[in-house]
Amino acid sequence: MNASLVSILFVGVALVAVGAFVATWKRDLTAALAGLPLMFGGAGVAFAGAARFSAAGDPKIFGQEVAALLAVAALALVALGVGIAGRGTSR
Amino acid sequence: MDSLHAIGFYVSAAVSIGGGLLVAFLPGRGGRGLALALSGLGIAGLYASLSAEFAGLVAFVCFAGCAMLIAGPRYRAVDAPAGMAWRQAGAVGAAGLFAILAYAAFRGDFVQATYRGGEFGIAGVGHLLFTHDALAAEAVGALVLVALVGGTAAWRVRERGR
Repeated sequence: MNASLVSILFVGVALVAVGAFVATWKRDLTAALAGLPLMFGGAGVAFAGAARFSAAGDPKIFGQEVAALLAVAALALVALGVGIAGRGTSR
Repeated sequence: MDSLHAIGFYVSAAVSIGGGLLVAFLPGRGGRGLALALSGLGIAGLYASLSAEFAGLVAFVCFAGCAMLIAGPRYRAVDAPAGMAWRQAGAVGAAGLFAILAYAAFRGDFVQATYRGGEFGIAGVGHLLFTHDALAAEAVGALVLVALVGGTAAWRVRERGR
């Protein structure tokens, strides 16, 4: 059993598509925010996979750093969205 | 990638995608939060099988935070004005996005090229930020997170005071 770059990109694509599905399918906008981390996670998997299979030495950490930053950005966006939603209904 | 890592990769992929689908179809916010945490566990496993353990740890912590926000007591539902037809069109659009990106992934490969941009090019700066100054770039990301959460909290406190 082996996993190639194409397999990793397929998994990343599937995560992005599932995240987009969550974001569009949920009637509640706050629940739709849960699709954002999935989409960002899919992009991060593609970055980390490309870095894992790249030929050069140093840039391997580049994809990992982008994946970590994407995860932090997803958390920030969800926090912002939940905060705004709470503000909108607390009056 | 050896067989052990490949097995871990495929199992983690199944867990992350399955968790994402549960997020879409579970009705309660508690269940959705748990499913999002499960998906984060799968994504962390994906990173670990790609030799990106630090990114996996960060992703797991961030997904756990997202799950707590989604399942937490401060969650407020906001109904979308879009009707069922538009939501179904969005779901079909997500399927179309999957088809296009899957085709791109199937055709994806590395391109052999020579970089002659020099030490002070954009690529050089990016290389510096994500290799030599990686910790500083992480600190900037954490600062943005704290600023956004703090701004949101201050906003809510001010609105409550009115």
